[in-house]
Amino acid sequence: MAIPQLQNTKPKVKMTKESPSLKGTLASVFLLGFFLMFTWISIYFLFLDRL
Amino acid sequence: MHIHKYEKIWLFFGIGSLFVFLTIIGVSAFAQGNQPPSCLTTIDPEKVDETPPFNKPGLVKTGDNEYQLNIVASAFAYTPNQIEIPKGAKVTINVTTKDVIHGFEMAGTNVNMMVEPGYVNSFTKTFNKTGQYTIVCNEYCGAGHHMMTAKVKVVNKQ
Ligand SMILES: [Cu+2]
Repeated sequence: MAIPQLQNTKPKVKMTKESPSLKGTLASVFLLGFFLMFTWISIYFLFLDRL
Repeated sequence: MHIHKYEKIWLFFGIGSLFVFLTIIGVSAFAQGNQPPSCLTTIDPEKVDETPPFNKPGLVKTGDNEYQLNIVASAFAYTPNQIEIPKGAKVTINVTTKDVIHGFEMAGTNVNMMVEPGYVNSFTKTFNKTGQYTIVCNEYCGAGHHMMTAKVKVVNKQ
């Protein structure tokens, strides 16, 4: 009976360790995203201007 | 599998932008009929001088206000290299090469294409402003590459 109890305690410890903060990652991903959108849209307007 | 909430957000935007691009390309190609400058029009590169319209390169009137501009590129020149276009003309430019790969860029416009031996590349543009344009080769083709140019003048004509 002693062994199963030991095994039960392990996953509980892991669960509390998870979910790191990804705020910085989210900000940098969208910063890059907006930069890409800005360049593509400005190239499109350059194309329209030269039509 | 557990995915972080933020991860779901940027995955949604990433996959979403793929669909936006696919839709734009689809509408542009199938609804508006846009094609790349070369749509597999072929020509024998050794018989360019005998093949119409390149046996008489230059500007040809094809309609009310429509023109065809046929240009032969070769190392290291365009034939012809002094062109006059009446203002407001809708010009379809056809280019081919007799030897190696050349470029065809009308500086400051959307006219920009590769010229490959064996193919005819086309681009249609309406010239609404008078002025001068320089055509340059933007595909390295050999020792005289930097001297490979042509001049286009858009002039007032009744
Ligand atoms: Cu060239």
